[in-house]
Amino acid sequence: MFQPKGVYTALVTPYTKNNEVNEKVLRELINFLIEKGVSGLVPVGTTGEFVYLSEEERKRIIEIVVDEVNGRVPVIAGTGASSTLSALRLTKYAEDVGADAVLVVAPYYLRAADKGDFQHFYELANSTSLPIILYNIPQCTGGILRREVVEDLAELENIVGIKDSSGNMPYLMELLEKVGDRISVLVGYDEVVLPALASGARGMILASANIIPDIWVKLYEAVTRGDLETARSIQMSIQKLVRIFCRHGGNVAVKEALKMMNFDVGKSRRPLVKGGILSPEVREELRLELEKLGILQSKFSAVETPSKSLQERFEDLNIKTETIMREKLKVGEGSAGQGVTFVRIDLLAGPKDGPVGEAWLRGLINAAPGHEAVSVVVEPNLMVKPITLEIPGIEVKNLRQSSILFGPIQSAIGKAVLDAVENNIIPKELVETYALITKVSVNPEASDRRVLYINAYRATSNAIKQAFGGSN
Amino acid sequence: MKISWLKGVMPAVVTPFDDNFEVDEAALRNLIDFVIDKGVTAVVPCGSTGEFTSMSIEERKKVIEITVNQAKGRVKVIAGTGDAGTDAAIEMTKYAEKIGADAALIVSPFYLKPTDKEIFEHYKKIAESTSLPIILYNIPQVTGVEIPWWVVEGLADVENIVGIKDSSGNMPYMMALFEKVFGKISIICGHDEIATAALAAGADGLILASANVIPDIWIEIYNLILEGKREEAFAIQRKIQTLVRIIARRGGALAVKAALNMMGINVGKARRPLMKGGALPYEDEELMRIHLEILGKIPKRTVMFKIKPEKIVESETYAIPETPTKVNDFSLRIGEGFASPSTAEIAHIDLALGVKDGPVGKIFQETLKNPKPGHKPVVVKIDGKEVKPYTLLVPTVRITTAQQEKFVYEYAMKGVAKAIIDSVKHGILPSKADDLVMIAHVFVHPTASNPKRVEKNNYKAMRYAIRKAIEGRPTLNELLERKDSARHPFKYTP
Repeated sequence: MFQPKGVYTALVTPYTKNNEVNEKVLRELINFLIEKGVSGLVPVGTTGEFVYLSEEERKRIIEIVVDEVNGRVPVIAGTGASSTLSALRLTKYAEDVGADAVLVVAPYYLRAADKGDFQHFYELANSTSLPIILYNIPQCTGGILRREVVEDLAELENIVGIKDSSGNMPYLMELLEKVGDRISVLVGYDEVVLPALASGARGMILASANIIPDIWVKLYEAVTRGDLETARSIQMSIQKLVRIFCRHGGNVAVKEALKMMNFDVGKSRRPLVKGGILSPEVREELRLELEKLGILQSKFSAVETPSKSLQERFEDLNIKTETIMREKLKVGEGSAGQGVTFVRIDLLAGPKDGPVGEAWLRGLINAAPGHEAVSVVVEPNLMVKPITLEIPGIEVKNLRQSSILFGPIQSAIGKAVLDAVENNIIPKELVETYALITKVSVNPEASDRRVLYINAYRATSNAIKQAFGGSN
Repeated sequence: MKISWLKGVMPAVVTPFDDNFEVDEAALRNLIDFVIDKGVTAVVPCGSTGEFTSMSIEERKKVIEITVNQAKGRVKVIAGTGDAGTDAAIEMTKYAEKIGADAALIVSPFYLKPTDKEIFEHYKKIAESTSLPIILYNIPQVTGVEIPWWVVEGLADVENIVGIKDSSGNMPYMMALFEKVFGKISIICGHDEIATAALAAGADGLILASANVIPDIWIEIYNLILEGKREEAFAIQRKIQTLVRIIARRGGALAVKAALNMMGINVGKARRPLMKGGALPYEDEELMRIHLEILGKIPKRTVMFKIKPEKIVESETYAIPETPTKVNDFSLRIGEGFASPSTAEIAHIDLALGVKDGPVGKIFQETLKNPKPGHKPVVVKIDGKEVKPYTLLVPTVRITTAQQEKFVYEYAMKGVAKAIIDSVKHGILPSKADDLVMIAHVFVHPTASNPKRVEKNNYKAMRYAIRKAIEGRPTLNELLERKDSARHPFKYTP
């Protein structure tokens, strides 16, 4: 009997523009994955959007996959359904067209309790000679396939494994203890693959194995040869990427990543839409992670050293060098960090009822495209004093960049201003009458928010010291 | 066994603290008088709302003693004497009996999660140690454990167990209590959001956090239900629903204290780790303020606006202690407003307010004449008519789609316009101030899809922004106090 082990991809279902199954792209994806060394393919599972496919569509996809694979690797068809009768029909079909095994999700929506869950799989096992892999994914089904049920099912001849996508390690340990010697325990939650394998799981069925199959194969091999050090560093290198798949984007994120890699897999079916579980901000984080892993080409270029003198950098706000001199306005600059997390701050300060007040408003309201500004808060509802404007010095092209500039960077500027007030670097008597303008240069590709916060804080503090500590 | 007086409206009184976080006896006595004057049946010190878990045994004893003393027999005193451990609960209960409390409210044991048997024994041991009437207290959202109904059923046979307060908000659970122990012990509702429904279903009374703030309204509801005027009672519940939702879900004591302080009843801050901006988000405090105004709970006073050296106007407006009596500088005032829920529909407004011949007026004109692509400025209108003060709406995010345009210039603008109108109506903005103009920099997320939410969030954000621009808040002191614990939601990498 087939004993599943290794790295399996939970295939996405590609669609055409009309939302029909895209056979051509599906075949391309299959070949890509086999070349990358996966142990097998799992069509029409959760990642394959089985709940949005008709029975006919599911059958056709299984048939296409079996055909394209052509015996190169095992095909484990997703044949789960809410109803036992439907799961029986699909499993029968999978057997007829030549799938090697089936992955069957626990019954969902109407809660069947242990007895109903057991009977569901029991009837399936008796109806087919195909090996069956049980599938626990409580975050979708709404209930746990309880260990006691799995224990009984493991006695059946053709129940050969269980995929656990819960991410619940105590549950997985319980499975390994009770049934690990009889059936394959497979992990389905990307963030805990390493501890699962190290504890004895035989393999994985993952959505992210559409994107990084080769990395998972390397991790699997490292654990197999006992090299946990290497396995650990591999898991850490992909942790942020797979967290996005697991928690911030699911199927939509996997498809977006594939599209970035030039697989025309189309959209997910409704109600899944872009901007739902996968926000535009996180989509860009995803792209950066793929760049870091070398899957996409990086566009990194360093922040340029300004050619203009500090006094000339506020001309777009109608503040000329003469104005700064005449009105005795305060200016300062500061920078911190290196490479992609480098931050530079140019600062202008002056009374808010004069040219600085006007420039402040001009910068806020009448910003050039890509340089939209905000009034600085340390967090929403805590706007700082003196009022401080944050203007992006480098054109902002997407919402992720905005969320960095108006998240960690804004918060750091605000904190630096308030700390300067507390420490009397900015005199308290100026708090209500002054306005501050900051221009911030951050690399568009920067993503480490913790380091950016620290650098922006240091850069702002230095700029403030220069502006307020000096002779003017 | 049921006792006759255990019914009606009973506030779970907060424990007032002074600036050094010590129990503020004078404020406590003042609060007790306030709620007694409104007609409550009993007062309940040292419950969850009384922050009992943040107080020493000695402090709890002192608060109960002060409460008994101040109540002077005018109303009953139900002392909160619960604890995680049985021995401590017994000590507290015995003390409450000695000092003259009329009953004890005892929360189920918490933290280490006891089983049915242990919960049963806990209450049984306490009941045996005292002759004081005991009220069980189910509040699984903080204890982590629900008292199973069959345990309540068993305990109802104990002579001096006289009631149960259920704060779970779980109606099916409460219905099980009615089925099993109705008539035998008093069933008290402790969840503000379902109080009228619970009374209609047969609850004997209410022990509520929000009864510190609106005891009179709860008494009205209670009486209406007694008189069989169900429709009227539910109509009132609907009016207070937002307020009590915030109190029930946003930090209990924290929200109640914020409300009382805004009403001018000084009760100080909650003890750490509870902090404003944490369990009670700043925006919810603002929303609570608006609802307290609607309910007439915030007093009005005169505020002077020195719009120009030669122009001073006065306005009768709802004022909290922090509201300045004079607003002097109208060159450039900035206010920020943020409102949720829903990530895609959040509203964020940077508002500039000032005189026409100052920076705000100048940029207002400059922007109208020379708009930047994707940021078309529009003078705020409602039903085709410009609202006053004239306000320029400018989108924060570049507009690239027809959908975005509709959300900004139709739905968000509607919310902004209504907020301006209401702010003038309530005297927050001076009505006779033709010299003033405003610019609202309005953020609408490009993925927003729910028009009503965008309108409502922008209404709230604009109300908050206007208020903060006028009041100059947060003040420097608030900022210095809050800066180190500030947590920006975008600060963290996914």
